Amino acid sequence: MIYIVLAIIVGVVFYILGFYNKLKTLEVQIQASLQEIGNQLKRQANLIPNLVDSVKGYLKHEKDIFKMLTDARTKVDQAAQSRRPEKIDQAQDAVSKVLSSLQILVESNPQIQASSLVSNLMNELRDTADKLMYARRTLIDLSAEYNTAIITIPGVWFASLFGFKPQKGLVIPTGGTFNEVTPPETENPKVKLD
Amino acid sequence: MVNVYENVSENKFKSTLTVGLFIGFITVAVYLISYSFNLDSSFLVIALIFSLTMSGATYFWGDKMVLALNGAKPAKREDYFDFYTVTQNLSMADQIPMPKIYVIDSPALNAFATGRDPHHAVVCATTGLLRKLNRSELEAVIAHELSHVKNFDTRLLMMVSLLIGSLSILTNIAIQNSFFGGRRGRDSRGEGNLGAVMMILGLLLAVFAPFIAKLIQLAVSRRREYLADASGVKLTRQPQSLIDALQKISGDPNILSEASPATASLYINNPFKGKSLSSLFSTHPPIEDRIRVLKNML
Repeated sequence: MIYIVLAIIVGVVFYILGFYNKLKTLEVQIQASLQEIGNQLKRQANLIPNLVDSVKGYLKHEKDIFKMLTDARTKVDQAAQSRRPEKIDQAQDAVSKVLSSLQILVESNPQIQASSLVSNLMNELRDTADKLMYARRTLIDLSAEYNTAIITIPGVWFASLFGFKPQKGLVIPTGGTFNEVTPPETENPKVKLD
Repeated sequence: MVNVYENVSENKFKSTLTVGLFIGFITVAVYLISYSFNLDSSFLVIALIFSLTMSGATYFWGDKMVLALNGAKPAKREDYFDFYTVTQNLSMADQIPMPKIYVIDSPALNAFATGRDPHHAVVCATTGLLRKLNRSELEAVIAHELSHVKNFDTRLLMMVSLLIGSLSILTNIAIQNSFFGGRRGRDSRGEGNLGAVMMILGLLLAVFAPFIAKLIQLAVSRRREYLADASGVKLTRQPQSLIDALQKISGDPNILSEASPATASLYINNPFKGKSLSSLFSTHPPIEDRIRVLKNML
């Protein structure tokens, strides 16, 4: 009888140790993915001025593109400094807008199309955008795993013992216009080809 | 409607079951063969040393052997920008170290992964694949390969091919042994009905073991293709890209001439398509079936 009790106690102790290590590992990984988001934002911020320099010669008359590039640069800078989720979202939007306008421009202008410098930089920028997206998703997945572990049985019994608190991850502000869908947004986008 | 997460866990369960069946079969087969052929101890020692050396070599150098067999070259970032960066991004998202990446110079559309664990993984693609797929389709294919790496499919496949190779070598030696004096000790064991049955069963197994083992190996790898499709899509969240990529791959007439049968099950698509292999012996489920499963995730 005493052995059974001992075995159960040993089992529980091992479980708690495993649980503790798992959550500590997740905490480190969450920090690392936050760091990665910052790194990618910085890399984007450095790439945009290069892109501006490389297209300057070709795009003297494309004031809109320059305005968008400056705008994207500012937003990426802000996001890199504040690391706030809504800033990151805005930065990503701005970068993808510049990218699609540039894409159209490049396709309509053989001179720019021939410049490998421009296309290289655009590829790099697209790649950082991807990396940013995956870093964010990693952060979201890891935070979800962590938060599930500390609010479900049996984790919920030990979580407070070690002072594990829910991870915020990338909190998208609730309230405001973030979780509302306006009627125009539910309609299919109309595409006009002239 | 089956979602991605349910698919992953269901596939994992079925894969474990198939692997269990496989291990059970190998154990019983080796026991029966050694019983009915009455192998003496010196033979067992040699067999043991041989199989240990072989497993060690496969475990540590299997990936290099596979790359050499397929004539693969390392891929640089400046030459294969999309391939390199896509692999980098996906391994970050999958929480594994970035694998070494290689290319095979061939117009065929194919890719494979190998290596004993995620720290020693290799992902290899043909130059044809890198030319014909766009970035998001390439992402889908690489995600599929990285899932093989993360699920340790690559190690399993490496070790399973070795086991099957060794088993058929063992069977050959056993048969030779029984013809050239291997029957020496049989009298001491008695000649009951049981002995005769075991003898026949052993002979049958000796003849059919390689075939049966091969079939089970194929079943293992087919199961794993569905699992890798599911976890790959879980990574990219874009089933449509994988569907597009698979359609491009299956619609392509080029055959990978560098592929050897030993490495066929590693590829994203059967490299011997077009050659008449019956569907039972195919290493991969038909692409239409994979696409049907993927469409359920849309």
